[in-house]
Amino acid sequence: MKRLRIDAIAFIAILAGLGIANLLNVNKPAVSTLENRMLKAKPELTWSSLSSGDYFRDFEDYYSDTFINRDNIVKLCRDIKDSLSLNREGVTLVVTREQNEPINDDTTRDRTSENQTVPRTTPEPSEEHSAPDGETPATQSGRETVQATATPTPTPRQFGDDETVAYYLIVDGKAVQLFKFNREGMDYYAEVLNKYHEVLGDKVTIYSMIPPTNSEFVKLRKYADITDSQNDAMDYLRSKLDPGIVTVDVYDELNRHKDEYIYFKTDHHWTALGAYYGYCAFMEATSREPVPLSRYDTVKVEGYLGSSYTKTLNKELEKNPDTVCLYLPFTGYEYTMYYGNEPKTADLIDMSYAEGSKDKYLIFMSTGGATWSVIKTNVHNGKKILVMKDSFGNALVPFLLPHYEEIYVVDARFYSKNVTGMTIPEFIEEHGIQELVFLFYMEDVNWTKFMNNVESHLY
Amino acid sequence: MVFSSLVFLCIFLPVNLFLYFISKNKTWRNWVLIISSLVFYAWGEPVWITAMIFSTLLSYISALIIEKFRGTGTAKVFLVLSVAVNLLILGTFKYSGFIIENINALLGIGLRKPEISLPIGISFYSFQIISYIVDVYRGEVEAQKSFTKLLLFVSLFHQLVAGPIVRYSDIAAQIEDRKVTPEGFSEGVSRFIIGLGKKVLIANTAGELAVNFLGTDYEKLPVTGAWLGILLYAFQIYFDFSGYSDMAIGLGRMYGFTYKENFDYPYISKSATEFWRRWHISLSSFFRDYVYIPLGGNRRHLARNLLIVWFLTGLWHGASWNFIIWGIYYFVLIYAEKLFFRKVLERIPRVFSHLYLILAVLVGWVFFYHTDISQALRFLGVMFGNASAFTSSEVSLTFRSNAIFLIIAAVASTPLAKKAFEAIKKSFQGNRARVAFLDNVFRPAVNILILVLSLAFLVGQSYNPFLYFRF
Repeated sequence: MKRLRIDAIAFIAILAGLGIANLLNVNKPAVSTLENRMLKAKPELTWSSLSSGDYFRDFEDYYSDTFINRDNIVKLCRDIKDSLSLNREGVTLVVTREQNEPINDDTTRDRTSENQTVPRTTPEPSEEHSAPDGETPATQSGRETVQATATPTPTPRQFGDDETVAYYLIVDGKAVQLFKFNREGMDYYAEVLNKYHEVLGDKVTIYSMIPPTNSEFVKLRKYADITDSQNDAMDYLRSKLDPGIVTVDVYDELNRHKDEYIYFKTDHHWTALGAYYGYCAFMEATSREPVPLSRYDTVKVEGYLGSSYTKTLNKELEKNPDTVCLYLPFTGYEYTMYYGNEPKTADLIDMSYAEGSKDKYLIFMSTGGATWSVIKTNVHNGKKILVMKDSFGNALVPFLLPHYEEIYVVDARFYSKNVTGMTIPEFIEEHGIQELVFLFYMEDVNWTKFMNNVESHLY
Repeated sequence: MVFSSLVFLCIFLPVNLFLYFISKNKTWRNWVLIISSLVFYAWGEPVWITAMIFSTLLSYISALIIEKFRGTGTAKVFLVLSVAVNLLILGTFKYSGFIIENINALLGIGLRKPEISLPIGISFYSFQIISYIVDVYRGEVEAQKSFTKLLLFVSLFHQLVAGPIVRYSDIAAQIEDRKVTPEGFSEGVSRFIIGLGKKVLIANTAGELAVNFLGTDYEKLPVTGAWLGILLYAFQIYFDFSGYSDMAIGLGRMYGFTYKENFDYPYISKSATEFWRRWHISLSSFFRDYVYIPLGGNRRHLARNLLIVWFLTGLWHGASWNFIIWGIYYFVLIYAEKLFFRKVLERIPRVFSHLYLILAVLVGWVFFYHTDISQALRFLGVMFGNASAFTSSEVSLTFRSNAIFLIIAAVASTPLAKKAFEAIKKSFQGNRARVAFLDNVFRPAVNILILVLSLAFLVGQSYNPFLYFRF
């Protein structure tokens, strides 16, 4: 043989070809719409990043994240793996690993260095959270997208330490995140709420309102033992909370309606209908009559592929997109979101997020991702409530409008006392708030890092 | 940098090949290799590249002195000195934290642990340098007169990061002069692609699956989960390591170097002794030639010699007690085999001796994986029935959805595919066109497929859901 064999020629041609193609491809993407996440940015060349080797590690991540035709290659891998499976029952288990940036750098730093007196620069609203009309999908839908939205400069940390693992079961075109009971997390949640109760005393009524996730209600057929009971977890939480804290029985109310469209199939959130039943449970806990759904005008947005899809890229989900049903508030209101200290008026049902491939859950409360926000209604009954929530709260808050004059909303991940100059008890005092609701995604309750944030707003 | 990174594959390697083959002169080619090897190393280890160059310089000078004063006390002094300094450097980087930890535990004091990170590849290149010095002392090779050529031997990116531990004597002639033929280059590419596929397609997949069982809460782990987990880990570690060796050997051939084989289907062994003749051959032969035989081999103090070798083998794998236990564990098995057990293994049906070896290796990996000994024991307990459940949906579904993958991995651990290929070729003997088709079309096509799949998986794996399976 005098010439190179065909595979040797192909080897050189493919590798060099890809290398050159990547080199010529100057317009590298910054976000992946397919996966709904920020791609790794080109690292900055500094002496310290160079000598520690971080520059090279980051560069490798950046290179593969911005690899030419990456979206199609990712899908190709999915198809190859799919085709290797023997079983065609239509049930799939997907395990995802994600690196979590510290949720809110300001607060995490506060926990470590108390009595810090140096004033910190307030985050720029435009950087902290991309504006609704920006190109960046500012997805605040649950903790997994935090890396896309939290502070722009993450603090250096050990590789691999903030990794969380999530298990998804995809059954009959529905994605179910498997619940793994974490006693430590549950205890911590109760501890934090009890501390709030201790500090706030009896002036403010505290409600604990934790909706279960859909793993509790979707029929898992013979795999039911794969997920832990959230009903038991709820009972456990209730037993750990101070008797002075009111537990809202969301579980039973949702359970009564479990065959309705109360959870998205391709997203980990509840639908507005699910949130409405959550609201009904809250009304029951406070001995009030819920407003019937028939009072609301509705709008439907078709073709929603949510977070569970973007994380698993499952084909069954792709074939079965969700419909987002929206209930338009009939109460007059003014919704002001404070990004940093910048006020911005927004719609509670923000249809600008309904277009294209944007994360449609962001329609609710126009992402709900401000440092804090307030809704002032034309119900002049003097009632004021504070909802401390994560993204699960976004679908529910609009239902509270007919019952309150002022509704304050704080996302535990984005609130910063360095911006407002107030801890949450001070905030409550300042605004004359009488009720405080904690409304979180079950997986956040189960996750101590998230609850760290909640605790840090207390002192 | 590692071979299985897109930066290496799409930037470093093409550029390096280009520069190498446009240089027509031997000296230039060596310089291309040295400089690119230093870049390769600095990519992951920008600071401690100095340690490597220092070690090389020291050994370069020592070897020249040893050669000049051969047979005198001076030669001996420089041998001991340079080996000691190399071991000291290795020890400082790799074991100082471990030693201080143990001193603290033993004396109940609180010495501060130095925060030194382990320079990449130091365990490999230190041994390469030591073998060079000892071989020069023994008169088995001539000392290298050119520092750059010795630096080329030490820093050559093919084997710098993950072995095999190449002996200077094996490539001394190729450092001076080497030929690259189209066949050699093509075979090198083929070998590299096989290694890449082993690493990316099998080892990575097995690793992603294994972490669902290993390192989890063992209170909840069922018996079958423990077995599946450790089996996957066994695949991961073999395909990862042997894949790297294949890539190194393949790269070597592409540039005209011939490195010795490092793995020879270890999982088909029928005894621990055989396993270690087939597993990481360059390491076990290093210990054989530079520790075991000088100590007296099997002629005197057999047990002591074996114990020392296996203690060191364990320690070499990591600065932690579990690796030492893992090494001692093989000492016990191999010593028992040497005393009487081999005779038993030879008499019983092959399937039983094979099962014994698989079981022994899997138990060994339990200690290898768990740096925390109590966790290892807990895991072994689960494997042998001390568990909350025998199986779970999660395990049986993972198993079923990955049955094909497991079969591929198992087959790839044996020479079955290779033998089948040879057998088919043999059956075509009368027909040259058919043989040529197999060699020049079929095999290259398989290689290209593996390459494309590996590249796709490398890009795809930057996406987080690593495990994606259906049942």
